[in-house]
Amino acid sequence: MSNNQQVQTMGRSVDVSNVKLSDVIDLNFLQKFQDDFAKGVGLASVTVDPDGNPVTNPSSYIRFCRDYTHSTDAGDKRCAESHRKGGEEAARTGRPVVYECHAGLIDFAAPIMLEGRLIGTILGGQVLTKAPEEEKYRRIAKEIGVDGDEYVEASKEARILSKESIEAAANVLFIVANSMSQAAYQQMKLKTVVDTLSDSAHQISATMQELAASASTVSNNQNELNSEIKNVNIVTGKIDEVMDFIKDIADETRLLGLNAAIEAARAGEAGLGFSVVAQEIRNLSADSKQTVGKIKELTTIIKDSVDNTVRMGNDTTATIEQQAAAIEQVTASIVEISTLTELLSELARKA
Amino acid sequence: MSIQLVVFALNKEEYGIDVSAVNGILRAKKFAIKNIPGSSKDFDGMINVRGKVNYVLNLRSKFGLEHAERDEESKFIMLNVNEGSTGWIVDEVTDIVKIEDADLQSVPQLICGINANYLKGIGQIGDRMIIILNPDNILTLDEYPVIEGHGA
Repeated sequence: MSNNQQVQTMGRSVDVSNVKLSDVIDLNFLQKFQDDFAKGVGLASVTVDPDGNPVTNPSSYIRFCRDYTHSTDAGDKRCAESHRKGGEEAARTGRPVVYECHAGLIDFAAPIMLEGRLIGTILGGQVLTKAPEEEKYRRIAKEIGVDGDEYVEASKEARILSKESIEAAANVLFIVANSMSQAAYQQMKLKTVVDTLSDSAHQISATMQELAASASTVSNNQNELNSEIKNVNIVTGKIDEVMDFIKDIADETRLLGLNAAIEAARAGEAGLGFSVVAQEIRNLSADSKQTVGKIKELTTIIKDSVDNTVRMGNDTTATIEQQAAAIEQVTASIVEISTLTELLSELARKA
Repeated sequence: MSIQLVVFALNKEEYGIDVSAVNGILRAKKFAIKNIPGSSKDFDGMINVRGKVNYVLNLRSKFGLEHAERDEESKFIMLNVNEGSTGWIVDEVTDIVKIEDADLQSVPQLICGINANYLKGIGQIGDRMIIILNPDNILTLDEYPVIEGHGA
């Protein structure tokens, strides 16, 4: 992941090209470190952004620089140019460089790199490796427009250090600053991942709640459906009752027909016409009874169908209940993950 | 000449009885039968028909057929004989038919499992063979002693 320019996560990414020095190093801390270091080692230093603008206050600048070289526009510009060159060289090599500045002092530039990209430079030095040459400083004083005598005098205040010491000091600053920025950057990435994780966990949690809600809606609907369908069975039962009643009437009618036929037979010749009517009555009752039978077959089919539906509905309800239980379990797991993620997030923020 | 029969079912056989011997048909399920203690096993008991006591004879029992509970279709065939106070329990009354004399046959006594006196003959309607009963002989006072205080 660290090989990529961007740390890709689901929703967020850390774009390394947007990371500023202040994002990865606490500038107050850097200032204090820089001040203490400057004081302890006797080297002036300042930290600048990739454009050469200072992001810290200068630490332990010597008078030569502070009061003379930087006192004129020309001097200030030459200093900036000198810093830029040193910084560029450092950025190009990715290593601290030690060089002579435009004013003849020995400076160093320690690049602060992040994933191969320059995010700042610690500049420092303002020392000499040997006693200053008067002639040289008089010439430079003239060039930048300051008093030659005072400039030479001030140059004598510059500490004289061996080149090795300067290099070692630059290296210390380089190692510390880069370790800090690297650690902070990794932490940023971690935080991004954790935040994404946290977001996902919340989304899943919300989705699970919706799922749970819809499961319970489905379950309620199914239950209502079941009771509604059972109503159909009750109505079918009532139809059967009515059919029983009609069948009873048909039976009664048939009996009436039989008894009428008996009466007609006993009436002999006079009953002949009546016997035809009696026969018709019996036929009608037989038709009624047959129709009742057919209707009962239909209501039986309805009942079976309803029973089937109810059984399937119960199966569905059982399935939904299982689903709801599963959702509950997942939700519980998600809550656990959320809690862990929050812990992780806290750790990432503190680290 | 011809006769008219009330045709009924008993143990899946078709029986017939002359219409003139029948008073009417009742649905058995509409009546509660009261047992008469000490009466013959062929009598199921008595029923109340429009305020009048009637006695019902179980023809299955009488003919030694397999016992069957009364059901939805069971009928009482109320008879004219014995002062119209008795009826038979049958499985179902199926038809009223007219049979020509030509289609009537008498029954040789030797092939009868039940008392030949009970039978008048066999009536044929197409493939159907209807056992025609003689109600007078089925309900004789010889067989069933008159209950004290009733009848005569």
